[in-house]
Amino acid sequence: MIHYVIKRILMMIPTLLVISFIVFVIIQLPPGDYLETYIAELESQGESVDPDKIAYLRKEYGLDQPFMLQYFNWVKGFASGNFGYSFEFDLPVNEVVGDKIWLTILVSVVTIMFTWLIAFPIGIYSATHQYSWGDYGLSLVGFIGLATPNFLLALIMLYLANRWFGTSIGGLMDPQFLDQPWTWAKLKSVLEHLWIPVIVIGTSGTAGMIRRIRANLLDELDKQYVLTGKAKGLAPGKLLRKYPLRMAMNFFIADIGSLLPSIISGAEVTAIVLSLPTTGPMLLTALQSQDMYLAGTFLMFLASLTVIGMLVSDLLLAWLDPRIRLQGEVVQ
Amino acid sequence: MSEKHYVSAAPFDPQSAERLDPAQEKYYLASRRRLIWWKLKRHKLAVWCGFILLLMYGSTLISEWIAPYYYQTRYSDQIYTPPQKLHLFHKGEFVGPFVYGNKFNLNMDTLKREYVPDLNRVEKIRFFCKGDPYKFWNWLPSEFHLFCPAEGKTMFLFGTDRLGRDMFSRIIYGARISLLIGLGGIAVSLFLGLLLGGLAGYYGGWIDSVIQRITEIIRSFPELPLWMALSAILPVTWSPLLVFFGITVILALLDWTGLARSVRSKLLALREEDYCTAARLMGAQPGRIISKHLLPGFSSHIIASATLSIPGMILGETALSFLGLGLRPPITSWGVLLNEAQNINVVALYPWLILPVVPVIVIILAFNFFGDGLRDAADPYK
Amino acid sequence: MKILAILLLLSAIPTYLQAQTLVDNGYFADQIASGKLPVLADRLPQEPDVVELSEGFSPGKYGGTLRLLMGKSKDIRMMMVYSYARLIGYDKNLELVADIAKDVEVEGSRIFTFHLRKGHRWSDGHPFTSEDFRYYWEDVLNNEELYKFGLPKKLLIDGKPPKFEVIDEVTVRYSWDQPNPFFLASLAGPSPLFIYAPAHYLKQFHGSYADPAVLAAMAEDAGKRNWAGLHHRKNHPYKYDNPDLPMLQPWVSTTFPPAERFVFKRNPYYHRIDQNGLQLPYIDEVSMQITSSSLVAAKAGSGESDLQGRYIRLDNYTFLKEGEERGNYTVRLWQSGTGSQYAIYPNLNSNDPVWRALVRQREFRHALSMGINRNEINQVIYFGLAQETGNTVLPGCPLFREEYQKNWSQYDVKAANRLLDNLGLDKRDKRGIRLMENGEPMEIILQTAGEGTEETDVLELVGENWRDLGILLFVKPSQREVFRERVFSGDAMMALFNGIDNGMPTADMSPGEFAPTDQTQLQWPKWGQYFETNKKAGEAPDIDEAQQLLDLYFKWSKSEAKEDRETIWHQMLKIYSEEVFSIGLICGVPQPIVVNNQLNNVPEQGTYSWAPSAFFGIYRPDTFWFR
Repeated sequence: MIHYVIKRILMMIPTLLVISFIVFVIIQLPPGDYLETYIAELESQGESVDPDKIAYLRKEYGLDQPFMLQYFNWVKGFASGNFGYSFEFDLPVNEVVGDKIWLTILVSVVTIMFTWLIAFPIGIYSATHQYSWGDYGLSLVGFIGLATPNFLLALIMLYLANRWFGTSIGGLMDPQFLDQPWTWAKLKSVLEHLWIPVIVIGTSGTAGMIRRIRANLLDELDKQYVLTGKAKGLAPGKLLRKYPLRMAMNFFIADIGSLLPSIISGAEVTAIVLSLPTTGPMLLTALQSQDMYLAGTFLMFLASLTVIGMLVSDLLLAWLDPRIRLQGEVVQ
Repeated sequence: MSEKHYVSAAPFDPQSAERLDPAQEKYYLASRRRLIWWKLKRHKLAVWCGFILLLMYGSTLISEWIAPYYYQTRYSDQIYTPPQKLHLFHKGEFVGPFVYGNKFNLNMDTLKREYVPDLNRVEKIRFFCKGDPYKFWNWLPSEFHLFCPAEGKTMFLFGTDRLGRDMFSRIIYGARISLLIGLGGIAVSLFLGLLLGGLAGYYGGWIDSVIQRITEIIRSFPELPLWMALSAILPVTWSPLLVFFGITVILALLDWTGLARSVRSKLLALREEDYCTAARLMGAQPGRIISKHLLPGFSSHIIASATLSIPGMILGETALSFLGLGLRPPITSWGVLLNEAQNINVVALYPWLILPVVPVIVIILAFNFFGDGLRDAADPYK
Repeated sequence: MKILAILLLLSAIPTYLQAQTLVDNGYFADQIASGKLPVLADRLPQEPDVVELSEGFSPGKYGGTLRLLMGKSKDIRMMMVYSYARLIGYDKNLELVADIAKDVEVEGSRIFTFHLRKGHRWSDGHPFTSEDFRYYWEDVLNNEELYKFGLPKKLLIDGKPPKFEVIDEVTVRYSWDQPNPFFLASLAGPSPLFIYAPAHYLKQFHGSYADPAVLAAMAEDAGKRNWAGLHHRKNHPYKYDNPDLPMLQPWVSTTFPPAERFVFKRNPYYHRIDQNGLQLPYIDEVSMQITSSSLVAAKAGSGESDLQGRYIRLDNYTFLKEGEERGNYTVRLWQSGTGSQYAIYPNLNSNDPVWRALVRQREFRHALSMGINRNEINQVIYFGLAQETGNTVLPGCPLFREEYQKNWSQYDVKAANRLLDNLGLDKRDKRGIRLMENGEPMEIILQTAGEGTEETDVLELVGENWRDLGILLFVKPSQREVFRERVFSGDAMMALFNGIDNGMPTADMSPGEFAPTDQTQLQWPKWGQYFETNKKAGEAPDIDEAQQLLDLYFKWSKSEAKEDRETIWHQMLKIYSEEVFSIGLICGVPQPIVVNNQLNNVPEQGTYSWAPSAFFGIYRPDTFWFR
């Protein structure tokens, strides 16, 4: 087991490095750099910019260095927690990012738990009552969540929540709590606001998960041992719980791997619409203004979150499934 | 002493135990394709969804006939009209399908355009008529419509938008772009998935490892930020058509990994089958083995997976257009229409502009259920 | 003894007079009790600015928090714009009035003497004196490392800096050789020219005053390469991003960026009082919430903002009106202050020779302008509430003449077609599109900064109009920076952007917008750059009328008498509107302003524009109060 764990963790590092390189390339792809934004901003205030000053600034910000040098400088800082400088905010990236990382993780984790809570029972029901009206009905509900573009759903829910419940629009809490220390009132406000993004993001992940659980459970239910159990007279409920469900759990856990990217990605769009203080809105503006270290750090963070999540799910799976532990690899 | 055994003297055909009755015979002799069809038919919902898909894709061929207006025709005096109800009876009498004309008033206090149906103006709908001129598939000028408003009058079944354009027509035209992006994207994705998954599955070894790594890396990327970054690269000088193709390629680039994975795993499994080994021993080339022996084994699975990926493409296009990174006006797709509906004014005051979400949901549901049915049916020997 | 007594008596008189009428704020009671703050009489300058409110506006009482909504964290700079305390600023009628300065003497438009208020203090209590001006002039502007590339252009006339003198503790003087008509206007601008800075605070970041080792450590902490970067970072009064920086504005920032909500608290040493002796501002705190720009209208509509104009447009009016009761606010309609809501700028510096030759002919521009049905745009998009116009000054402006607005902006398709035919563009292809000299169909690609549906709609209508002229219009939206880049480099054929920024100028304000003086002027970016960089980059204007405008601009900048300036303005406006260097569309678009029902002293009608009104600035939000 330890062998497996170490192997997985070690494999993660080159993956992350490659991802960081790809991220950096992508950020640099659009023509121009941050200075264009800066110049445009100065000009909109009526200040003109001397071409000499622009060249000077380019040197100051290190934007005239060759691509690989910029990349290495950036990656070098990772180990010491230095993620570069944000030109937009005129602050080191760590100071800009701050709480946003934690809030993103919070929203993602709550959404994943919500998705599990909904998808698991529905998936099981669907598999055991295949082709029944219940199966169709519940799957329909799940799929409607998948089919509705979540940015639209977010806006509508925002409006309705405001009309019906008086929830303030957007954000994760009422404005007056924004920089206050944590109190019960603040927590209540956060919960009031949290359910909208969770439902919006969660519903799209739910459908996929329902289908996968259903499919996997169906595969299990077809196997010999289930038939044997039925023939031997085990009650269906007990039979279900004792054997196939345990197998389904495997797939359930392994599924985090497929779930995470879509949840995180869905979270970004939803955060933009709902104006949540997570990484989404800031990432969009950073990409648009070519604030490359900030955008790069966000993308790295999001990708790492996914990779780590998949690592956790693989490790959980190894713990659950002795075959993997013993053989040292995942059995298809 | 022996008891008498009872032996029937009736004629007996020793082959009968092994002979099949007509129904069974049909089943055992049926081709794989037919088996798949029969299994699919069992899944009633899938069949209905298949019909709906056929209908919707079929409509894209004759969008111009179905839509009562050209998608860019606008009426400056009919801005933000709410949907008009279709009536059959006027004052108790059967008149045929018609709408009531609208009385317009601009409320200067709230700057709201108010439309009240005028119960005296009966405007009958004409069928197979000459109406708003257009160019069929942007090429053949024509004026033929399946149904149009009364002569010289207007009819807006789904209301109008902020420039006075008929929403119903725009949704019909939008179908063409949105549905085709799905197909286009899936074509590219299929190509990439088959190619890379096939290479990985068939040759194994280091090719497999490399391709595995790549798929893992791509899959661990959250899609949206990648799309945002990639869309920022599309040159703005490109014509709308090129942007359309660019977007389909971008969407497909992140999608092929799922297909590649299933292709790979299927190939790995089937590769070890006896018939495959036999073919190899008999000297068949890899190409022949793949196309003639392996491919039929999992083609139905691939088709099912592909079908299930199309909704992702359609939603992806919608999301990108929402962020302003995908298609833009004057191209009209459902994503573009929804982007225009993405503001508080619409949600609060003109909710009919959100109607394009209905065909999006329907199409995605249809694809999902149909794809599910296909996948269930894909392995008829189970 | 007697002399001492008399002196004491004399010095007590101002305090005595003030003590009669001053009313301090309970907000500071704790701090005064614990000795951290002096009493009001000692916090104000000896001669504070006593505000006399005009008809219809009443003096108010202390208290309240003003909630504002902003769309990005950079918007906290709006605090500097809205709160509008300036050395010398504009009042409601666009007259220049001394504000932070007690008095400004101007001699021949070239010698400016500022008299400060004795006893005026920064927001941290330290005295505000001529030392702050000296520090900024000698140690900042003229410091090699801080201003490597010389003084800001606004301070140079003919490339020459002024002579700076400290007359005494409360008097400073700037003298130029030539008249400088821009100086006062830039001091009064929404993003003002700063000629002073809190010396006592900034010296710790300055290479000549602080210990180099300490400085180097501080710079590294802040992520800067050297102390110059550090000093700049700490001294951005406009950006409002350093709560430690002492200010003279009515509200001071207390939140370090980045944050979702920024709180600004009242400045205990603010120099203005009302006629009842209350120290302005009436409102104790301002809270700016940063949200996404698309949600601002929704939030304002549910009553989350007390004063909102930013990110609200005319099409939000109906929605906002419906929410008035629930949200406890009213929606007022102010006037947009731009000369034209949108204007089309044909790129006279285009790289394409055929296009450039075409667009330089004024008949072509006339035809394009006459081919637009402005009335329809007005009806469809602005409910008929706006006015059709060319790109010129607004009807409310004293310099306005009807001909400027009407020149070539009447809708006349026949005349436009005739003009185009006469230009030799009478051949058409089978779609009906005119062919240019080189046989190519006339397809115009118009760049926009792609910021909203309003633009797309306007261009949709314009495109249809021009189709009738045989011209095909393609709209290409892009990010603002890319958009600018395209225009500046000459790649763009045509661009759409806001019209004249300052639609209500007086003769004393710079007519720079009507001459090629700035690279950001989208119709002649290279000529503008030529002027800006002092002929180092760009191209010289090669159309006579454009050169005439430039000459007139120079004349204006050298003029001293008001009548001369007025004449020059009219000459420029006339040439500009006859040449149609940019095509104006609609002006006077109503701007909805959401005002909390409890908030007083916000005018019913006003002009909402960046320059010169500074949005709410000239209406002095420090005089707004909550009932």
